[in-house]
Amino acid sequence: MLKFTKITLSALALITTSLGAANAAVTVLGWPGGSEETALRAVAEAYNAQSGVADADKVELLFYSRDGFYDKLQADMAAGSSAFDINLLATYSIGRYASYMEPVDLGPDAAKVFGESVLKTMQFNGKQYGVPTDLSLHFMYYRKDLIDALLADPAARAKYAEISEKYLGRRLEPKAPDSWTWDDWAATALYFAKSVNPESPVRYGTVLQMKNLLFNIMVWQSVARANGGDWMDASGNITIDSPAYRTALELYKKLYDAGASPKDSLSYEYAETNAAFGSGQVATALQWNAAASELTDPAKSPAVAENVGIVAPPAGSAGRADHIHGLGLGINKNAKNKPGAAKFLQWLATEDTALLYARSGGSPALLPDVAAKIAKERPDLVTLGQYAGAYGYVMTGATSASAFPVYELQAKEFTGYWSGQETLDEALANTKAGMEKLLKQ
Amino acid sequence: MVDLDHKGWRIFASPLVGFLLLFLGFPILIDLVYSLSRVSFTNLRSPEIVGFGNYGEVLGDAQFWRASWFSLRFGVITAILECVLGLGLAVFLSPLIEKRSWLMAPLMLPLMVAPAMIGLMYRLVLHEFVGPVPYYLYLWFGDSPSFLNAENAFWTLVVVETLQWTPFALLLFYTAYRAIPNDVREASAIDGASARQILTAIELPLMRPTLIFTFFIRFIDGFRVFDNVYTLTGSGPGGSTTSLPIYIYEAFFKQGAIGKAIAASVILFLASFVGLYALTWLSRRGKGAAS
Amino acid sequence: MIKLARWIVYAVAALALNFPVIVTLLTSFKSGKEISVNPGFWISSPTLENYATVLQVSDRLNIFAYLFNSLAASLIGTVLAMIITFPAAYAIARGRYGRKVLMPLIVNLRAVPLIIFAIPLYMMFQFAGLLDTQLGLGLILTIVNLPLSLIVFVNAIAEVPIEIDEAAKLDGMSKWGIMKGMMLPVCRPALATVFIFGFITAWNEFLFGLMLTSNRAVPMTVGASFFFAASGGGIQWGAASAVMIVGALPPMLIGIIMYRQISGSMTAGAVKG
Repeated sequence: MLKFTKITLSALALITTSLGAANAAVTVLGWPGGSEETALRAVAEAYNAQSGVADADKVELLFYSRDGFYDKLQADMAAGSSAFDINLLATYSIGRYASYMEPVDLGPDAAKVFGESVLKTMQFNGKQYGVPTDLSLHFMYYRKDLIDALLADPAARAKYAEISEKYLGRRLEPKAPDSWTWDDWAATALYFAKSVNPESPVRYGTVLQMKNLLFNIMVWQSVARANGGDWMDASGNITIDSPAYRTALELYKKLYDAGASPKDSLSYEYAETNAAFGSGQVATALQWNAAASELTDPAKSPAVAENVGIVAPPAGSAGRADHIHGLGLGINKNAKNKPGAAKFLQWLATEDTALLYARSGGSPALLPDVAAKIAKERPDLVTLGQYAGAYGYVMTGATSASAFPVYELQAKEFTGYWSGQETLDEALANTKAGMEKLLKQ
Repeated sequence: MVDLDHKGWRIFASPLVGFLLLFLGFPILIDLVYSLSRVSFTNLRSPEIVGFGNYGEVLGDAQFWRASWFSLRFGVITAILECVLGLGLAVFLSPLIEKRSWLMAPLMLPLMVAPAMIGLMYRLVLHEFVGPVPYYLYLWFGDSPSFLNAENAFWTLVVVETLQWTPFALLLFYTAYRAIPNDVREASAIDGASARQILTAIELPLMRPTLIFTFFIRFIDGFRVFDNVYTLTGSGPGGSTTSLPIYIYEAFFKQGAIGKAIAASVILFLASFVGLYALTWLSRRGKGAAS
Repeated sequence: MIKLARWIVYAVAALALNFPVIVTLLTSFKSGKEISVNPGFWISSPTLENYATVLQVSDRLNIFAYLFNSLAASLIGTVLAMIITFPAAYAIARGRYGRKVLMPLIVNLRAVPLIIFAIPLYMMFQFAGLLDTQLGLGLILTIVNLPLSLIVFVNAIAEVPIEIDEAAKLDGMSKWGIMKGMMLPVCRPALATVFIFGFITAWNEFLFGLMLTSNRAVPMTVGASFFFAASGGGIQWGAASAVMIVGALPPMLIGIIMYRQISGSMTAGAVKG
């Protein structure tokens, strides 16, 4: 045993004499997996290949695990890590990280590429903290074949009207998805639920992602926003206990309780939602734009790919609303090579780079005339820009340092209501009290 | 005869004590300061000392008590299930495994996969459209229940945990069971004792230390469950699957309430000290009564 | 008859306990397309593409490096914990040294989520240059393994008849001599048990692996999660399954090898009785 110990120890000593890593000049911490990584790799390669870039300014990429990414990043930044010069930031976390970062001047041309409203997704207290690289929002995905059949069949239309009267209190006529209100969508979701309508060709009318997770609140909150909801008013009062929030919360609960969404929806997030919609047993899904490529790819979603329709989220009493947030890259305060980092970011903000980024699979939000240049290769970016421009919103206070904990709080309380552990009044009262504490700091 | 030469023994414990001081001395000190401070990720190096407010906040937080109750219930139930199943299997399968020790290997497999991954895998296994469990339930019975809603998630997680860790109990129990010398059994058999009598009167008492030890370890591990629950349900709808470590983790990283998270840990630490002393006292008293 | 019953129980137990592992194994041989339409236990067109994805080394994903990092860190975390707890366990079992404070302190370390030490440890490691090193991660894993290691050793030593010590003492052996010459060999099953469980625990640790490494010393559990989302926001179940299977192989191998130590010394354990 002792011998064994000795051998192991000497082996360990050998192993752990660290293998000094090649020190690249500008280290970029990117968003792992997905199209963002592919696109970032492509532009980084192009940047390094330029003759004007000194060896000391070449970029090297670094990626963390997507699980716990923000927890790890927070520990790194709070402890003043210099492991990266440029790091990822997102609209909803910008207030949290701004104090560990350095503002960056992107030059006057950036506004001509992305537009002021998109640059704003990377601003905090009036300062620009990063280049917006990708924009995320939500699409309403639906099954064209099912909706067409519904619209064409008088018997089905009658049934639809009957169901909507019973569950929503109003007789509704089926409509084309691009003119849906949230009630139309809800009626459709109920019509296609086997538990409501045993003749439904599919098991569920929709798939709601209701896991206790902050990203799910971002998906859902467009229902509240479309009815005029907001976190707080201009003078800083928390306005979460509003008719808009009540309507939106009740709508989800009604659909879930009626069986319009899978039984385990309370544990569903992005992946589960895709799998459910992709199985062909679900008629509609409100889901991130990033899912479009997977859901419309016959190799990945053979059951539905040919029949997926995409429209903007439905309208409420205050019109249409679509949650937007940007991902971007900014400079770490403890960066070792700040000039080099700034140089790379400025280059990222030019039109040519943005177009290259888009061609490589990224989803930048571009001004219409810029997006037009790649409309053929990336028609989805035109839609993305359109929706973002027309319906995009950010809740008041959702870029503050407390935005993250606020989303967490809402996720806990609202799922508590949806799962029947709390009344609506309790959930809203708790949320309001918690938000007052968090946002007034 | 116990050798109570305190100074002589000190040197034996010194590597452990030294290691603890070196690696946990500073963190414990910092954490104690943090637990008395208003501190978040923005002022890690300059916490503002405010007294025992964090402790008050934790003790007054209904979610803290809910999480404690979840952990306690989860720990006790999974430990009992794992020990009962493990013991039953160890005794019943012992004649098979004794002759072919390789049979143990397949039973040990679940221990080799990281609990975090197992939790993730259950997201697939239990998914209504791509998971095998609901698929076969629909195929055979025409319906499948909700596994992860607020009412059922607890029991689903109990099954997940029990399936993974019963092998731990099984292995320890089997080892202890095989270590009982055969002549002890044979002697009792000659005296006319039935297999069941031998089990309850001879074997189980001999295995007692292992039984207690295993139950204790499994209870602690169930109590502090984190990885598999966190990857499967997170903190659960309305916080319904929040174990104490999940409560602490979320306070720490998600809310940035570092003082509160550490205060909760200190309370947990003190409570487990009390629990441990009580346990030792009880077992001493039990032994005293027996002799 | 009873023998048949035993085999049946064995088969049921093996299948039930391994259910998630079996599903993982099956999923690892399905293509992404098949996973989305076929949840059943048969595979209509088995494929090795998931394993190819996982085993291919690219500039970001290098499973061999992760395996190696995990191996190094887990060995440090297991062996070091054994080295420092064994003498302490001897003192506790034989001299009642530290029964009131040291022992409960260590045992309670298992109950407390160690993540609360993440920030101070991060700062210490930053200062000492241990961030993102296998040694640094190994030291943390040592802390993780202390409680189980100590409890098992104390129990094992306590079960050894004290007459052995007394006889050796009469022969003029020192305490160190007794510990090394008599206790270590007798406690072989306990050493093997601690090694197996310690190694598995260390190998499967996730949170500290995530927090304290970023590039060079990323362990398998954290590296594995790189594959889950390797081409999109969702989870690539096929690749995830394959990487889990590959990641479980080393502890499996160690378990099988060390298990012989436990069972092989069973007869030696008869000394106890």
